Parts: sequence; C-alpha cells; structure tokens
Amino acid sequence: MAMSNVEVRGLTQRFGRTEVLHGLDLELGAGVFGLLGPNGAGKTTLLRTLATILRPSDGSLRLLGYDPSDHGEKRALRRRLGYLPQSLGYYPNFTVFEFVEYFALLKEMPSREVRPAVVRAIERVGLEDRARSKLRTLSGGMLRRVGIAQAVVNEPDLLLLDEPTAGLDPEQRVGFRQLLREIGADGTVVVSTHLVEDVGAACTEVALMDKGRMVFRGTPEDLVVQGQGHDVGDSPLERGYTSVLAGARA
Amino acid sequence: MQCHPRDEGHVAACADCQARWGLAALDVRLGRVWTGVAAEVWAPSVGRVERLAGQLLRSPGLARALVNTPSLVLSWILASALVLALGVFVTHSTDRPWVALLAPALAGVAIAYSYGPGVDPAWELSQTMTVSDRQVLLVRSLAVFGLNTLFGLAASVFSAQAVGLTLGWLAPMAMVSALALAAATTARSANVGAAVALCGWAMAILGSAAGTDYLTAAVAEGALIPVYLAGAVACVAVTLWATSGSRSIGGVLWR
Repeated sequence: MAMSNVEVRGLTQRFGRTEVLHGLDLELGAGVFGLLGPNGAGKTTLLRTLATILRPSDGSLRLLGYDPSDHGEKRALRRRLGYLPQSLGYYPNFTVFEFVEYFALLKEMPSREVRPAVVRAIERVGLEDRARSKLRTLSGGMLRRVGIAQAVVNEPDLLLLDEPTAGLDPEQRVGFRQLLREIGADGTVVVSTHLVEDVGAACTEVALMDKGRMVFRGTPEDLVVQGQGHDVGDSPLERGYTSVLAGARA
Repeated sequence: MQCHPRDEGHVAACADCQARWGLAALDVRLGRVWTGVAAEVWAPSVGRVERLAGQLLRSPGLARALVNTPSLVLSWILASALVLALGVFVTHSTDRPWVALLAPALAGVAIAYSYGPGVDPAWELSQTMTVSDRQVLLVRSLAVFGLNTLFGLAASVFSAQAVGLTLGWLAPMAMVSALALAAATTARSANVGAAVALCGWAMAILGSAAGTDYLTAAVAEGALIPVYLAGAVACVAVTLWATSGSRSIGGVLWR
C-alpha cells in the first residue's frame, strides 16, 4: 500500500469560541488534491494547519511521515514543504530573483543549490524575462507566479496552494495546471480554489468543504455524477458542486 | 536499415539520433551552463553587511532576514539619527537631558517595528520556513538594540552630560525595548508594541519626576536601575512564552 503523505485525524480548529474545523479526517498520497468550497468553509484554515502555521486545537497530524508538534521533525518537514498563501505579502523593492532566493535561503537549502534552484523555479512559472524586475512593477498575475515560484523552489514533496490561479490568465492557468501535474506525479499537491474548472483539469481527487466539514470526497468524475439531474450550474462539475452543497445543507 | 532524416523536427523526437549525435548529453550540459549563466546574471550581488552577517550567524537565510529588518532600513536609521541630533541640540539649549529621555523611546519603537504581521510583508509565508520566526525575531531585536545603543552613546558623548546621565539611559532602554518586544509579540501588533513602550516610558518619566521633583529622575536615579533590569528580564520571559511552541493565542500560531 502506498504511504500517505498527509494523515489528519480528528482535526479541530477553534478561534476563541468559534469552531472552524470540526474533527476532519484526511489521508492523502501522491497526486493533486483539489479543495472546493464556499467562502468560510475552512479551506484556508485547513491549508494553514497543513502548512504548520496553525496548531490544531484538537486532533493529530502526520505530514510526510513527520509529527509537526515535535520541533525537530517540524524543521525537517518544512524543508520539504511548499506553501502559497491566499494573500502573498512581498517586498516591493525585491527583484523576482531576490524574492525567490530569500525563501530558498529561509528553507535552508544547501548554498550551492540555491541559485540554480531559483533559476529553475523562475523558468517553471515563465518569468525568465522578468527575473530582474522589481516586484512593485509586476502585475497581479505575475506576482501570483512569483508566489508559486517560491513555493516550488525546493522541489517540495508536499505543496499547499491557496487560490493559486487567482489573477492568472487562461494561458497561464493551462501552464500552471501542467506544473501541478508534474509535481503531483511524485509528491502531494493540495490546491484550494473557487474555480471548478481547475479541479476538473488538474486534480486527481477533489474534496468539497462546507462549514468546517468535508461533505464530499472523490474524483472529479464522481463529482460530475453527483450533479446529474441537477440543473444549477453552467458545467457538469459546477452542477456536481452545487448539488453536493445543497444536499449537505438540506 | 532504417533511414533517419537529418531535419531538426526528426532529431528532436528521435532518441536513436540524439544518442548517435550525443545531443541529449549536449542538451543537459547546455542546460547546466544556461542555469549557471542565468544565476550569475539575475542574482544581485550580496552586500558587505549581509555577507558579514551570514558569516557571523552561519545562516545566509537569517542574514538576509536581518538586512531586511523594517526598522533597520536606511530611512529609519537616518530618522533615528536625526531625532537624536535634535535631542543633542535641545539638550545643549535647555540643559535638560533630552538625549537620555529620547534614546529608550526610540529603541522601543524600533524594536516593536522589527518583525511581525503588518510590518514584515511576507510574515505569513515566513511562518512556514525552516529558519524559525523566533530566530528572526531574536536576531533582529539584538541588532536594533545594538544599533540604538551605539546611537545613544554617540549622542550622549556630544551632549556632554554628567557621567551618570550619559549611561543612565542604558538600563531604561533595555527595559523599554523588552517591553515593546513583549507587547508586540503578545498582541501580534507592532503598533501595540510601540504604544505600550512609549506609554510605559512616559509613565516612568512622569512617575519618577513626581516623586523627586526633577524630570531627569527616570535616568539619573541609580536606585531605579535594578527595577529596570528586573522589568527587562520579566518582559523577555513574556516574549519567550509568547513565542514558545506550547501556547497559541486565540488558537492561532504554531511557531
């Protein structure tokens, strides 16, 4: 049996008295896993927890075989982790190269490997011609690609992307999906998105979250099947999405 | 024998031809050369300060984080120097120890703005890095404190106050800096850290002035030094607790 890269048991997240995630269980191996759901469903909280930013209020995590509650194991895990936050903060005076290099250094990549890895990451997101441009001069879509470059610079085994395609044009999204498939061939990619077509095109598996619970998990084809006979939505996947949500809320 | 055309389209798709002409190996070598050239051309040169910090800290990542401290950028340093220069001028004009009163406040604000959400643009991302944010916080705080101490010493020398006053601000500066750090890390807000530091220092000045009838009491009374140092130690303990892995305010950050 293939080893799970992500093992989540009874994950609960509370902020004050508000419970945002309610005892989630999740097990993921290699592949591209799409997280769908309306605003406030808990997708970002789940991704932040997997990125070791948030500590679970309850439940346990095991990521790439490491226990993030142990300091040493968390460091080892973070070396093999890539994360793109929903809102990417950046230093306006940094160039694209400097920004990606900064995070490669903070990930403690071996010194000799840093610069070639930065070049490869910039090439993978198609920003070769802007490598020396200041970040303040880039468009929103370009900044998103810079964020993706820093996430993949260490060739992560676990890549967590929060709304990665926001701001990308259709051609860039096609290229980005190819990148996801490449990384998902060996590692685990978890993508949170509002765009169901991204899920259909790039994800091997999909989950739908609502109000802190996982209300559906299966392949994109399974989600399409859920939408048969349901007429809300413009595409088969959208009909599946709205049908599952309606069922969960009924 | 199979006939292999010599056009580019065929060679690009034919492994036999690539092997025969050594093109695959050539491609790999050219790829490496290109990566090396691009890295040289695209990478900006590393500054002297960052190189020195990298050697001292034994971590290029930590060194890069240090040189990007918001309260260590040139404009901030110049502003601090200007405020202390004004302090020197006013001290000479009024014969009151404005440098000694200003130095702790400046250091406290600079410490509060050295790291954290809203201050460091990539703060959320840096929470997922191997170099921990606690290391970054510590290194930046020490650097900011060190620089402000140097500024304070220089300003004190130029203001030519009595020896007691010249060094009298060091202990309160340590306390105000530690207070700013504790407040900023606990509240996760640089503004709160700066406000608490300034209010705390103002209260210390006014409180000791009310008890002794002279404004400089906060920096001139030797009896206050142990109080400042004890306060600094307590605030450092709060900071360590606030950034430890065993706690999470509002169920939030892991560290």
